[in-house]
Amino acid sequence: MTTVGGRDEVQRSDASQLRVVGRPLPRTDAAEKIAGSTRYAADLALPAMLHTRLVRSTLPSARLVRRDTARARSLAGVVAVLLGEDVPHNEVWVDVPGQQTEVRALKARSQVLATGRVRYHGQPIALVVAESEDVLAEAEALVDVEYEELPGVFDPEEALGEEAPRVHEDGNLLAEWHIDSGDAATALERAPIVIEGQYRTQFVDHAYLEPEAGVAWLDDDGVITIRASTQVVEHFRDIAAILGVPQARIRVIAPYVGGGFGGKEDMTVEPYLALAVLRTGRPVRMVWTRQESLLARPKRHPMRLRYRTGAENDGTLVAQDIEILADTGAEAYLGALVLLYSSVTAAGPYRCPNVRVRARAVYTNHPPCSAMRGFGAMQVVFGCEAQIDELARRLQLTPDEIRRRNAIREGDRLPVGQQIVTPIWLGETIDQVLRAAGPRPEPSRPHCRVGRGIASNLQPYGRLVWLQDTAAAWIGFQFDGSVTLRCGVPDIGGGQAASLGQIAAEVLGVDPARVTVHFGDSARTPLAGTSTATRQLYMSGNAAHLAATRLRDQTLDAVAEAAGRARGALRLGPGGVEGGGEPIALPRALELVRGLGVPLEVLATFHGPRGRAVARDLAAERVFPDFTVGTHLADVEVDCDTGQIRVVRYLACHDVGRAINPQSVSGQICGGAAMGIGSALTEEIVLESGINLTAGFFQYRIPTALDLPDIEAIALESGAGMGPFGARGIGEPPIGPPAATIANAVRDAIGVRLTELPMTPERVLAAIRAQAHTDPPRPAPTGP
Amino acid sequence: MIPASFDYRRAHDLDEATRWLGELGPEAKVLAGGHSLIPLMRLRLAQPSALVDIGRVPGLDTIRVDGDRLRIGALVRHAALARSEVVRRALPLLAEMAAEVGDQQVRARGTLGGVIAHADPAGDYPTLALMLDAEIVTTHGSHPARDFFQHLFTTPLQPDEVIREVTFPVAAGPHRYIKFRRRRCDWAIVGAAVQQSDGGWRLGLTNCGPTPMRARAAEAALAEGRTMAEAALQAAEGLTPPSDLRASSDYRRHLARVLTRRALEQAAA
Repeated sequence: MTTVGGRDEVQRSDASQLRVVGRPLPRTDAAEKIAGSTRYAADLALPAMLHTRLVRSTLPSARLVRRDTARARSLAGVVAVLLGEDVPHNEVWVDVPGQQTEVRALKARSQVLATGRVRYHGQPIALVVAESEDVLAEAEALVDVEYEELPGVFDPEEALGEEAPRVHEDGNLLAEWHIDSGDAATALERAPIVIEGQYRTQFVDHAYLEPEAGVAWLDDDGVITIRASTQVVEHFRDIAAILGVPQARIRVIAPYVGGGFGGKEDMTVEPYLALAVLRTGRPVRMVWTRQESLLARPKRHPMRLRYRTGAENDGTLVAQDIEILADTGAEAYLGALVLLYSSVTAAGPYRCPNVRVRARAVYTNHPPCSAMRGFGAMQVVFGCEAQIDELARRLQLTPDEIRRRNAIREGDRLPVGQQIVTPIWLGETIDQVLRAAGPRPEPSRPHCRVGRGIASNLQPYGRLVWLQDTAAAWIGFQFDGSVTLRCGVPDIGGGQAASLGQIAAEVLGVDPARVTVHFGDSARTPLAGTSTATRQLYMSGNAAHLAATRLRDQTLDAVAEAAGRARGALRLGPGGVEGGGEPIALPRALELVRGLGVPLEVLATFHGPRGRAVARDLAAERVFPDFTVGTHLADVEVDCDTGQIRVVRYLACHDVGRAINPQSVSGQICGGAAMGIGSALTEEIVLESGINLTAGFFQYRIPTALDLPDIEAIALESGAGMGPFGARGIGEPPIGPPAATIANAVRDAIGVRLTELPMTPERVLAAIRAQAHTDPPRPAPTGP
Repeated sequence: MIPASFDYRRAHDLDEATRWLGELGPEAKVLAGGHSLIPLMRLRLAQPSALVDIGRVPGLDTIRVDGDRLRIGALVRHAALARSEVVRRALPLLAEMAAEVGDQQVRARGTLGGVIAHADPAGDYPTLALMLDAEIVTTHGSHPARDFFQHLFTTPLQPDEVIREVTFPVAAGPHRYIKFRRRRCDWAIVGAAVQQSDGGWRLGLTNCGPTPMRARAAEAALAEGRTMAEAALQAAEGLTPPSDLRASSDYRRHLARVLTRRALEQAAA
């Protein structure tokens, strides 16, 4: 049987009947993580293990004149130094969907190790393999690389110019998406109110606790086994292609990951580890330094956004005209898809009959940009929600009222054409944050002003429908009634594995402590797809639910037959098989099942909704399975003398459908908000002519616990999502609103709109001064 | 990251330390608390050939008042300064500064002598030392603070010279130190220190140039009887602070004025 994801097919339970789901159970991985005993990817020492390090480009755009490894190879302790020529297939091809060059679909090429030229600062050129970690730095310095500097391009607008240096042979435009819903131009001409604005977002790093790392070895079965910090065990296929070996000869294991956020969605250490094993036959380890991670790992796309928003006098939106220019850096990676997410969500969670979107992603000689939590749907919130806020001010409506009037509802269509098929609780999220916020704070000092802002967003959960997404899970009873669950989900810290255990325990009536979850192994757990796109609770959660439900049903069918009880009376519960007489303890019941030759296990596959691929001109009945909405609220205090913003209070509310584990849900919301606040206020990868100046935590400033306000997470449970028990995805959605929420609060406090991220004190002060030169002092503003 | 390899010696007294430093030459460094040096070594921004550890040399962790001077041993840690009753009575500004150095971990290990010898203009104690005319007492003699902070990370210390103690004048009058930071526990983007002493104001600035700075024009304005707000407007007079990733030079000058005014007003309140 196949189950296709959709409202009707997914089983939901009445929340009041739930025994395990919905309880804030301590996560199975929590205690050992707190104790520091979790064995992360590279926390495994194998006998005779070698150590590896990449030699990276010191220039952003150059021809490689000479690469000489002789001196490095002669250093004591160095086992091998590999160049691109040593890689069996030194090319990775990426599909760029929706884009065509003449007759073939566009594919983008990147190299595992650069040979002819380098395109960004930090691009890998050589791989050093050595007996000890100590030798690596010296060996790296002994690899002679001679460069001939080539002109580079470091601005996406300039990159589109005719004369601009080409980052890749086919030109600098990686991808372009158009949406034309209704007639935005005419509607804007006729609209009585038009708001215009331009906004800029910055390069942001994932800055996970665990850098890119892993260990690999040739296992007894002849399989190159890679234990890596990754969100995607299915990269085993790409690794096999690079090595030129059968896919079945590569196995990827993802142990608990110390943070992914999209940064471990593309391959990181895997191909290099595999190459070193292939070359030496020995176990190898690779751990990137924080400097490497900040230097060269794909970043969040900086975007330039231009918005024009038209409305009626009562605040009803009539048109949005949106232009997006994204700097995708030097490699394609997932840039086209990131931009697709931006395009589909750029108009926000609102009904608007006329929307025009023109989005472009452009190559530059900057570090590549790719997936990062929010995946393009984050940056546009900063533009869209600024427009909505300004519109409210123009019309003297409160920020909540303007959003309520335009909130998208079940049955409405997004500009791309997709109909919303689940109830959308946007208004409820606004109510919740306002109610919880209470009165506005008072300034703590005379030179300070306080303000309050809100911002809302919608974020897809589940992958693009044309990717025909599936997830599989295997569940089996052991003879003693304990439960084994196998699912290839990588657990990247969101409680992915623990939540599956909770779902299985709910359905099978057992104590959650009796469920053991095996996860994240491309060879030994059924494949469940990537831990990306806010899809795992939806996809593998449904797969686990499906498998558990079938196991329950086949078990009860067999017990009914063997024990001569009415099937309809039977259920699984704490007493084992209950109903229709004395409870039958589970081990005894399972004996009865086995006596009939009925298996104690089920393998089930859950299929997401299917759809057709899109073209450059986006128009589709369905692009994503579904969406999660939310609203955040911030009270800020702005020091008008220094421009310093202090977030005094922060609330974040999302409709999560059903909180399988409220602790994990709250963790996702608080974490997303914290990360978003970092993007809003302090974080920025700074590049000067392509040279990364922020390759260390001295320079790249993530907020610490001391810098953040207490974040109050509010999870609403509409029960209306497409995941198990009506859950929606919540991994990415909370990253969307923070920057806009804070910008709107600052606008409220000092009457100035900040349009560029991060909102540094210096930028705030400059904005205050610019306003002081043009405007007379304003009365104290009012907000929600 | 792993530092480049280096030789390590633990000195039993300062004579041994200076002898070894003399033998090892200018590529050797003194290790005290290690909270500036070790991070630089891990990033390989510093690659000393050898470390001479003075961390267990006895007698360098004392705090005492000697007449009108407060004498602080080179190995006194930030946390000890912050909680010392002697410091709080004799020079409360130093105790307050010490409580705001780095984070808890740094304060538990880092030393006053280390900060002075490192001569980072973003350090806090150099500002106080300069503005109050501290004396840096070493194995080789003594340096007045005004001659000590020569340039970025540059002092007159010889390769074999080690700081024994730093002496400050006793000053318990109105005072305040304000650090402007983007993050708690970070270095100051700009810091402003004010201390009333002998009836006049001494004003110091952190991270406003290649060395700690005194806001002399503002000091003079106060001496002439100008208001604090008026005087503070001159706090950045003659300064050319650096522009870097955290702040532009102009913004630092602005902060110097704002923070000096606030520090004066809060000290006087």
